[in-house]
Amino acid sequence: MRMNTRLWLTALLSLIFSTHATAGGHDLKAIKAEIESIKQVYESRIAELEAKVKSMEASAGEKSVVAAQSQNIPKKAKQVKRFNPAVSVVLNGKASSFSSPESEFAGFSVSHEGERGREGLGLGESEFNVAANVDNKFYGSLTAAIVREEGEDKIELEEAYLQTLPDLGIADGLSIKAGKAFWTLGYMNEHHAHTDDFADRPLPYRAFLNKAYNDDGIEVSYVLPTDFYTEIGGGVFRGDDFPFGGSDGEGIGAFSAFARFGSDIGDNQSWRLGGYALIGEAKGGRTGNEDTVTFIGDSDLYAVDFRYTYAPTGNAREREWIVQGESFWRSEDGTYEDTNAGTGAVAHDDTSVGWYAQTVYKFHPAWRAGFRYSELESPDILAGLNGSALDGRNHDPRSFGAMVDYTNSEFSRIRFQWNNNKLNNQTTDNQFMIQYIMSVGAHGAHKY
Amino acid sequence: MHINIKIGKAPVSGLIAALSLVLSAASFAADNINILACEPEWASLAEELGGSHVKVFSATHAKQNPHFIRARPSLISKARRADMIMCSGAGLEAGWLPILIQKGSSRIQPGKPGYFLAADFVQVLEIPTVLDRSLGDIHPEGNPHVHLNPHNILIIANEFTKRLIRVDGNNQASYTALNEAFTSKWKAAIEKWEQDLSGYKNLSMVIYHKNFSYLIDWLGINLLGSIEVKPGIPPTAAHLEELLGVIRNSNSTPIIAVTPYDATKGAEWLSGKINKTYVTLPYTVGGDEQSKNLFDLFDRTLALLK
Repeated sequence: MRMNTRLWLTALLSLIFSTHATAGGHDLKAIKAEIESIKQVYESRIAELEAKVKSMEASAGEKSVVAAQSQNIPKKAKQVKRFNPAVSVVLNGKASSFSSPESEFAGFSVSHEGERGREGLGLGESEFNVAANVDNKFYGSLTAAIVREEGEDKIELEEAYLQTLPDLGIADGLSIKAGKAFWTLGYMNEHHAHTDDFADRPLPYRAFLNKAYNDDGIEVSYVLPTDFYTEIGGGVFRGDDFPFGGSDGEGIGAFSAFARFGSDIGDNQSWRLGGYALIGEAKGGRTGNEDTVTFIGDSDLYAVDFRYTYAPTGNAREREWIVQGESFWRSEDGTYEDTNAGTGAVAHDDTSVGWYAQTVYKFHPAWRAGFRYSELESPDILAGLNGSALDGRNHDPRSFGAMVDYTNSEFSRIRFQWNNNKLNNQTTDNQFMIQYIMSVGAHGAHKY
Repeated sequence: MHINIKIGKAPVSGLIAALSLVLSAASFAADNINILACEPEWASLAEELGGSHVKVFSATHAKQNPHFIRARPSLISKARRADMIMCSGAGLEAGWLPILIQKGSSRIQPGKPGYFLAADFVQVLEIPTVLDRSLGDIHPEGNPHVHLNPHNILIIANEFTKRLIRVDGNNQASYTALNEAFTSKWKAAIEKWEQDLSGYKNLSMVIYHKNFSYLIDWLGINLLGSIEVKPGIPPTAAHLEELLGVIRNSNSTPIIAVTPYDATKGAEWLSGKINKTYVTLPYTVGGDEQSKNLFDLFDRTLALLK
C-alpha cells in the first residue's frame, strides 16, 4: 500500500516539476534529466522499502510459526478408516538333504503331512490369507495353502472360520469360533507353520496330529475376569481330520476341552501353561503309511504345554530367550490293520506318549539359534501286529534338531537347520535344510 | 411365598444388608476405572487426568520397543477387565493390540468410548505417499510416536478427558477439574520450554529410529539421518559409513540420540567417529531416573539436548 502511494507521489511530483519547468522556460533536456534523477532517487528508495518489507515479512513469518505452535499447531486429524481386509501371502521354500532313503516311524502309523518332506529343492506351503472384521460382532478369516502333493499342485483349505467379537454382547471374555480352524490344542496347533521356530514340526505333532488338527467344528472359549490369566474352553468337531477320520456326520465325532493359565514374572519374563484333551472316534477309519494302515476306534489325546519368554535387556526386539515344551498322551481303543503286512484287523488298546522341548535364543536383532529334542514312545501291541508298521521293535523314535535363522525384517526369514533323526532302529537320518519364509502384504498380530 | 412368610423380618433385613454390601462392593469396583495404557507416556497422562478414580496399567515399560511386544497372557487378562485402553495408534501396536482387543472387554472395542488412540486426534507426521516394504516397515497411517510434541499432549489430554467423562459420568466434575489443572500447568510448562527455541534451531541430529520426529519437528532441529537402515531394519556397516559421509558433508557435529530401547552399537560407532558421545534421551516416562512424569520428560529431554 505504502509503496503504491509513493509511486503515485513520484508521478505527481514529476508532473508538477515538469509543468513548473516548462513555465520557467528551462531547457527540455535539463528537465528530462532532472526528472530522470528524481525517478532514480525514488526508485532506489522504493527498492530499499521493498527489501525492508521483505525482511519484515520473513521475521514476521518466523514469529507466526512460533505463535501458531503455542496455539496448538497440530490439528485434529480426520479419522480415515480404510476398508481393510488384511490380505497376505506367505512364501515358503526349502532345500533339503537327507542321509537316509527312508524315514518310517517305528511303532506309529503316520499320515501324509506327518511324513518327511521332499528331498532337494521344493516349495513348502504357499499360504494365502484374507481376514477382517465382518462387522462389529464377527471376525472372519480364510487361509488356503497351495501345496505340491504327488506331483500335483493342490489347494488345501487350512482355515475358514468366523469368530465372535466382544461386541457380541453375550458376556465379556466369551468367544465362539466356528468353521474350520487350527483348534486350541497345545501350543503349536493353533499357529500356522510359517511362525514355527523350526523348519519341520516336532515328532509328536507329526505322529499324533498329522502336523495339525483342523477339523470342521465349533469352539467356545472364555477368559476369566481374573488378574491372573485364565482361559477355559472346549469344542465339538465333525471327527474327520486326523487323528479321527471317516466321520459319517452322525452325532459328534470329537470334542475337546482346555484350560490355560499364564502371567508375568517381573517386567521381562512371561509364561503360559495349558492342559488339553481331544477325545473322539475314528469311526470310518484313520489311515496312515500311504493308506496301508487303518485304525478304527476311540482315539483320545491329552496334552500339556508350557512356554516361557525372557527378554534379558527388557527389549525383546534385541535379545530374547524362549523355552517351550509339549507332552502328549494318546490312548487308543480299537483295531489296527496293516494291509502291507497282511495283519487283518487286530485289537489294540494302549497308550503312546510323545513330547518335545525346544529353546530359541535371539543373540542379535537379526539372528536366532535354537535346539529341539523330541521323542515318541510306542505303545504295546498284541502279537497279531508283530512285524507290522505298529511294531516298534523296542525302538523309541527320537529327533534332535539345531537351527540358526536370520530375520531381515518382520517379513522375511531364512533358516538353516540340521536334524539327527533316529525314527527306527535301522537307520539314522541326518537332515540338512535351508528354508525361507517371506510374508507379503498385511502382517497380522501374533499370538503369544 | 411360603418361605417369605416364614423367614420373617430378621432374615429379610439380613438379606438387604447383604445386598447393600454387594451393591457397595459393586459401586466400589465401578469407582475404579481400569485403564490399560499401551505405553508409559499414556499411563502417566491417564493417571494425571483420572486421579484417584482410575487404576492404570502400562503394557510396556520404557526399555521396551512398543512395536515389538507379545500379546502375552497377562495383557490378555488386563484387556479382559479394562474399561478403557489408551494407546498411540497409527499402527504402533499393530503386532499385538488386535489380539488384546479381540480377547478384551466389550468396553474397549473400536468405536466405544473406552477405545482411545492418541494418533486419531493430532496431526500425524510422515504419512507415506508410497507404500512399499522395500522402504522398511513403514506405517501407512504415519509416524505414531506423537507424544514428543507437547502441543499434542494438550490436545490428547482434552480428548481423553471427554472420554473419561463418557465412561464415568459420575465423576465428571472431578475429571473436568483434573484436566483444567493439568492443562494450565502444561500450558505454563510449554511457555517455559518455548522461551528459547532458537537454541535448538541450529542443532542437527542423528537418531536410531524415527521415534523422535515430533520432537524434532517441534524444536525445528535439522535431522541428518537414522542409524537403522530403514524403519525396522537393523543397521549395517555400509549404511553407517554412508551416514558418516552425510554427517561429514553437513559440516556439523550432530547430536546422536537413541531411546532407552534402541540398540546402541551403531550409535557407539558413530560417536567414536565424530568424537561426540551419543545421548540416550528418555523418550518416555521412566526412560531415565529423572523422567518421572511428562513434565520431567520434557524438562530432561530439553536439558539433554542443550
